[in-house]
Amino acid sequence: MNQQFSNVLRRSIRSLWGNLSLNGMVVGVIAAALLLAGAYLQVLINLDRMMSEWDRDVHISAYFYSDVNEDRRFAIKDDLAKLQEVEDIVYVSEVEAGNFLVDKVPDVKTILEEFGSDVLPASLEISLRSAFTNPADIKKFVEQIEGHDFEDIDYGQEWVQRFESFVSLIKSLGVVVGLLIIMAAIFLVANTMHLVVYARRAELETMKLVGATFGFVSAPFLLEGAILGLIGALIATLGIWGVHHLLFLRLEDALHLALGNESLVFLPPGALIALCLIGMLLGMCGCLTAVRRFWVAAP
Amino acid sequence: MIRLYHINKSYGKHNALTDVNLHVKKGDFVYVTGPSGAGKTTLLKMLYGAQSPTSGKLLVGGVDASKLAAKQLPFLRRNMGVVFQDFKLIPTRTVADNVGLALEVLGMPREDIMRRARAVLNTVGLRGREDAFPLDLSGGEQQRVAVARAIVNDPAILLADEPTGNLDGAMAVEVMEILLAVNLRGTTVMVATHDTGLMNRFPNRKLRFESGRLVSD
Repeated sequence: MNQQFSNVLRRSIRSLWGNLSLNGMVVGVIAAALLLAGAYLQVLINLDRMMSEWDRDVHISAYFYSDVNEDRRFAIKDDLAKLQEVEDIVYVSEVEAGNFLVDKVPDVKTILEEFGSDVLPASLEISLRSAFTNPADIKKFVEQIEGHDFEDIDYGQEWVQRFESFVSLIKSLGVVVGLLIIMAAIFLVANTMHLVVYARRAELETMKLVGATFGFVSAPFLLEGAILGLIGALIATLGIWGVHHLLFLRLEDALHLALGNESLVFLPPGALIALCLIGMLLGMCGCLTAVRRFWVAAP
Repeated sequence: MIRLYHINKSYGKHNALTDVNLHVKKGDFVYVTGPSGAGKTTLLKMLYGAQSPTSGKLLVGGVDASKLAAKQLPFLRRNMGVVFQDFKLIPTRTVADNVGLALEVLGMPREDIMRRARAVLNTVGLRGREDAFPLDLSGGEQQRVAVARAIVNDPAILLADEPTGNLDGAMAVEVMEILLAVNLRGTTVMVATHDTGLMNRFPNRKLRFESGRLVSD
């Protein structure tokens, strides 16, 4: 077994060393394909984290009719606080709402002074427990509290749902695009490896004529493909890391509001391992396709 | 050892072999002769599975080679040695590596391969040339390397396609003597040649082909 493996390894290294430029092309193709796929994956992972953050931070603002008196408002607040879905509930008076707005947008101070500090409606700011932050539960909760003297209930979930649909679409597209990228990469690797096989056709043909099996001939190519794929994946990882640091992290400030307390993350170790395995698989499939094409045609 | 029943081989409208029937017994030494295009090479290619007959039955070592699955072909070839007309030596490998190729495909340990290769190279008179590369050798030496590779695994059948075609008289005699020595050890040998001088010098059974037909045996 060791003897056979060392034989395969020796032949692989010989081929890797003997066809540097073509092997470089294979590495380049795999690296480019995985760079695209990896960067796409990184965007998806960060979008997912963004959505989880939003889901975690579901915040409902229930605005009172102006004619509901303060005692009634506190009574409603106490009633709602008893509900199992509610994690936290805060009463925000008209004046507090005005102050909050002025804090965030100082320019509106003069307008508020002109119209009166109680121009904004009083509200209850409700945070839900994490077990009830899925869209169906939120909708159910909002329907449940709608009768409680509220003029309007705003929970921004419609926008989140639209965004979730958008991300699902990107994910589905990602699967299709990913498959296309992988198929294109296999095609390109196979064609490039075909040149490597062609350069060694006399040797391989002779091997076949003296009784070599397909496994014997293809094993070093498979190993070669795996090595090239791994190198391609490592280069792609380096590229994605570069994109992460040079581009994504610069976007972090701009995305601060959307990200909340989260920051943009690099691909997790599992994804990096998957990327390496996909790279090796790409290399192996490409090499196998090229060798098989030769093998069928050889005498 | 080798039996052909009504073998036909055609390439489009051209018939390379027509209704060939023959029997070669174990340990025979047989010349396959005839003019160029008579079907000698086609016959040998069929025997080592590089081509399959259009019709008829072909038995090699008891195996029906005409119905052999692609996966079984390597195992048929491991039981025979072939000296190709164009040698088919790998220029990037040393002489010893070229000879050892037939053992390498069997998964034999490298030390054993080198030991056997050196012994066979000694037999064909190429001692000391183990580490040379084929392109550094003369035509005659290359031919002998090809013979060494064909016999290194002690095959039951040895097929040689014009093994003396590129050689001068003395060298051709040397190669023929090697083939005869292999035959003496029990290997069935079939040599495709149109060198009548050699056939007269080393008389053996002759199969004469003309236009794809076996005209005399």
